[in-house]
Amino acid sequence: MFSSLKKLAFRQFRKSETNLHELNYLFWECTTRCNLNCLHCGSDCSKDSLHDDMPLDDFLAALDTIKAPLKHFTVVLTGGEPLLRKDIELCGREIRKRGMKWSMVSNGHLYDEQKHISLLNAGLGALTISLDGLKNTHSWLRNNSTNFSKVDRAIDLAVHASRLNFDLVTCVNTRNIQELKEIRDYLIQKGVKAWRLFTIVPIGRATQNPEMVLSDSQFKELMDFISDSRKQKAIDIKFSCEGFVGSYESKVRDSSFFCRAGINIGSILIDGSISACPNIDRRFAQGNIYKDNFQEIWQSRYEAFRDRSWTKRGQCADCSSYKDCLGNGFHYWHGDKKNVLVCHHEKLENAMKY
Amino acid sequence: MTSALFVFQACYGTPQDFGLDVFVEGRVTSQSTGLPIKGIKVSVADHLQYEYTDDEGLFSFYTDRREQLKVSFEDIDAGDNGTFLKRDTTLTAIDEKVFLDIKLDDQ
Repeated sequence: MFSSLKKLAFRQFRKSETNLHELNYLFWECTTRCNLNCLHCGSDCSKDSLHDDMPLDDFLAALDTIKAPLKHFTVVLTGGEPLLRKDIELCGREIRKRGMKWSMVSNGHLYDEQKHISLLNAGLGALTISLDGLKNTHSWLRNNSTNFSKVDRAIDLAVHASRLNFDLVTCVNTRNIQELKEIRDYLIQKGVKAWRLFTIVPIGRATQNPEMVLSDSQFKELMDFISDSRKQKAIDIKFSCEGFVGSYESKVRDSSFFCRAGINIGSILIDGSISACPNIDRRFAQGNIYKDNFQEIWQSRYEAFRDRSWTKRGQCADCSSYKDCLGNGFHYWHGDKKNVLVCHHEKLENAMKY
Repeated sequence: MTSALFVFQACYGTPQDFGLDVFVEGRVTSQSTGLPIKGIKVSVADHLQYEYTDDEGLFSFYTDRREQLKVSFEDIDAGDNGTFLKRDTTLTAIDEKVFLDIKLDDQ
């Protein structure tokens, strides 16, 4: 009874949020150059990108169309690897000049003490660094033998910066799932406060390697690990907001699944496309900053994001959990979009049958 | 509504930044000549952060907002731009930003 009322209340809240669609989180794909060549990269980034970095002035012109940003509106610099931009501090300072905050997702490779200081000076307020295992498994997935020690250095710097809201993310795969407890102990020992776990979306280079995708029972193992670790409270661990996980919803996250792509989350991609999270199928672009006014697009478009009824197809058509899931994370709709790429709920149901 | 009540982050994004900081900017000049001094190290006590003054003696950085903020000005370039005595300034009750007009004495 209580659970049903809670679900109803959350659906109402989600509906209200969708109607309001306040923009408070904007990804900027400021480069698609990258200094790593990870096996699981969903964007197929490489050292020699097809695209030039987006000029700062072009991005700022789009940003300036937002006349009254929310108090905690944050621009999230992503890539590629944002630290490859020589002008990243200038980018940050220009964002702060406009009364907005900024943060960054990085692979940590170039995050040394000097860079740490210059980014803090430029007003960096939040940081996410990727760590995909202990040394051997991380090196395998990141396809680089030196990145682990550089991430280790970056963690030491970030955990001691009281100004930074910092977390670690890990893409869980068939290799590192065996060592999650050891990774957790390592992070606690390093002083990391927050750890977010993902699975790997089968897009980009990840489609070419079967070791990327967890089996149903491994996925349940992951949920149990997160759930147990949350009870211990030694580190703020959570499953990312990538998908609906049924009976595990309240056990692996702080709040129920709600894909906010296009509702509170927008993006400006490397070619000027206006969309939501960068890993979403690029054919969902709603406009382009080189011909459209960003704020007008945000206010008037995004129909497919704000009315998800089109996702009630394929295996979602007859699903009893559809009202709570709404077709899983938006980034799981790629290609012909006849069916969702991954259903986490189904994986768990399957695992529980074994 | 969202930003007031709920903390969320995009799957592949960062945590949101709800922290408070202060923007410290200013100019460092010579007490005796009034000219700007380049290369002065401006640092925050008990903190890794520092910045150097530019050709016009200007500097700026963001740092944690605290009740007290001690900022040091130190000539470390061995006489390249003159030699000046170190000076510390303690700031209290700082709002979102502060401008410091610092004059350093010749050594």
